[in-house]
Amino acid sequence: MSTITTTVTIEDPIGLHARPAGQIVKLVKESGLTVRMGKSGEELVLANSPLRMMALKAKTGEELVVEVDTDDQGVADALFAQIQDFLKG
Amino acid sequence: MALANGAILTGLGVGLNAVRAEVFRVKPLAAIPGPAKHAGDAAGEKETLKGAIAHVANYLDELAVKAGETSAEIFEALKMLLEDEDLFETAVAEIESGWNAATAFIAAVDSLEEIFAGDAAFEERLVDLKDLAKRVAAHIAGVHMGLDLPTSGAYVIVGDDFSPADTAQFTQAVVGVVTIKGGPTSHTAIICRSKSIPAVVSCAQAVDLIDGTQVLVDPVGDRVVVGGDDSMATKAISFIAKSLDPIVPVRANIGSLDDSIQAATTAANGVGLFRTELLYLSETSMPTPQKQAKSYAEILKAAPEGPIVVRTIDAGSDKPVPFLDMPHEENPALGIRGFRLIQDHRQFLIDQLTSLEVARQESGREVWVMAPMIATASEAIEFAELARSLGEYKVGIMVETPAIAMALRDLKGKLDFISVGTNDLSQYLFAADRMNAGLGALLNPWQPALVRMLKVIASESEAAGISSGVCGESASDPAFAVVLAGLGFKSVSASRSQVGAVRSALSAVTLEQAQQVAELALAATTADQCKAVVLDALAAIA
Repeated sequence: MSTITTTVTIEDPIGLHARPAGQIVKLVKESGLTVRMGKSGEELVLANSPLRMMALKAKTGEELVVEVDTDDQGVADALFAQIQDFLKG
Repeated sequence: MALANGAILTGLGVGLNAVRAEVFRVKPLAAIPGPAKHAGDAAGEKETLKGAIAHVANYLDELAVKAGETSAEIFEALKMLLEDEDLFETAVAEIESGWNAATAFIAAVDSLEEIFAGDAAFEERLVDLKDLAKRVAAHIAGVHMGLDLPTSGAYVIVGDDFSPADTAQFTQAVVGVVTIKGGPTSHTAIICRSKSIPAVVSCAQAVDLIDGTQVLVDPVGDRVVVGGDDSMATKAISFIAKSLDPIVPVRANIGSLDDSIQAATTAANGVGLFRTELLYLSETSMPTPQKQAKSYAEILKAAPEGPIVVRTIDAGSDKPVPFLDMPHEENPALGIRGFRLIQDHRQFLIDQLTSLEVARQESGREVWVMAPMIATASEAIEFAELARSLGEYKVGIMVETPAIAMALRDLKGKLDFISVGTNDLSQYLFAADRMNAGLGALLNPWQPALVRMLKVIASESEAAGISSGVCGESASDPAFAVVLAGLGFKSVSASRSQVGAVRSALSAVTLEQAQQVAELALAATTADQCKAVVLDALAAIA
């Protein structure tokens, strides 16, 4: 399986806090996909724990790398769009 | 120690009506067993933990249903954290090293403290999570943790302070609330105000109240009277206007078009504080000058007759504007906020004042502009020059820092007016965080040091030929508004709902009477005494 990557921007004024982190994890679990997120240049973490996501300490305006293991570009794009939406606050 | 009948316990009142009922002490939590090892069945402990977490998650679901839509999201987010896989794995590691399920889970939550140190947004969640970890441990130990409030009868519930989870469980039988801690802006106070439950918060002596005692909760009197009856309830003074016009103009505080329309239905003489940040906080990108001018013109046109005092943006890292870069700060109240923002965002302020000038011309209204968070005379002059270069404004500043209060004379001929924000002035004068529930008593506007500081500000402004006003929360209290007029302030600005009451009070006294009342306030040595002597004097006049 290949890996599809994008970057998303934290637009939420409080940063990557509990609510968006929870929404992302819920989405990822429901999708059954393996998704990793993290800051560019740092090790990515599995997006299946809200606490682990919050521990990235991503602030408003920062970019995060998101990668998903899938061969389906459409599935990946839909997932990325929803994640970006959660980060709008 | 039981309290004798007639004993008076002072605190800070919430609400206007008194209530008499029996005390119901909220029980301190039954002790949860301390840290302990398990007997060797690690797999069994894991199952126990899983079951207890599921039980508490269920309880959060129930709270979410009770709390309704807005708070439901909070409980949903908390549930995700409680059921977090990483957290569970951390607890499992503790179980495998011998600790029992309850000890392991509490340790796992405690370990988060280190990971998230310094993250203010998470610290609040951590407090909630720790509470949930206790509930998990209590469930395992078979200890009951609910509030167990009576569902019938009428009780004044007494406790340390109540969390959102606690207040969500308030029953019909809760007719009064007394908290030992917490301040006027605590969660308990906000809920009681919105549900019209009489309350006295920050009432330290309430620690001695015992079940079954009859008490009078007397919020107007800021007190609880043991054994008191309704006849002892402090009445809010009813002022009867004796002249057509108040001794100083009473303006309204607004923040949106809706506020502006509503304010125009009151007897307000113009707007004393137009908070502009609301127009920006909901935008994800900088609104164009055209869009800003359009919003401003609508609001200016709708506003009550009289001058409109517009405060330039008052944002900081605790109320960040999404499209301006505002890094996290350890102490946002003492950080880059208000006028200080223009160090990095000068163009923003220029656009704001330029758009406002377009709206001023279009509406034909008299517009005054002022900058918040000014600490030095040079900042004030910098703002005044900038504002005058961009529009035909009367120009002023907010007085919130003790520093600028001591520099008003240097502004002679430079400013048209000043306006005091008493909430922030209290915060900075007493070095007491407005957000800290434990510091409510220091933020009481009747504190003598605040009243004396206000006197200095009014006198120094007068000496410098600058018109002075007050737009802070304290000006919404009719009795305090009389003190302000007596201290020499030339206008007050109140919340929309209080304009009528403040106007009546200021029409019921003469300026000389207000000055006499102010003298009494200046001579007081405690906040309680200050309020009491002023209310007594006003009751005699009105």
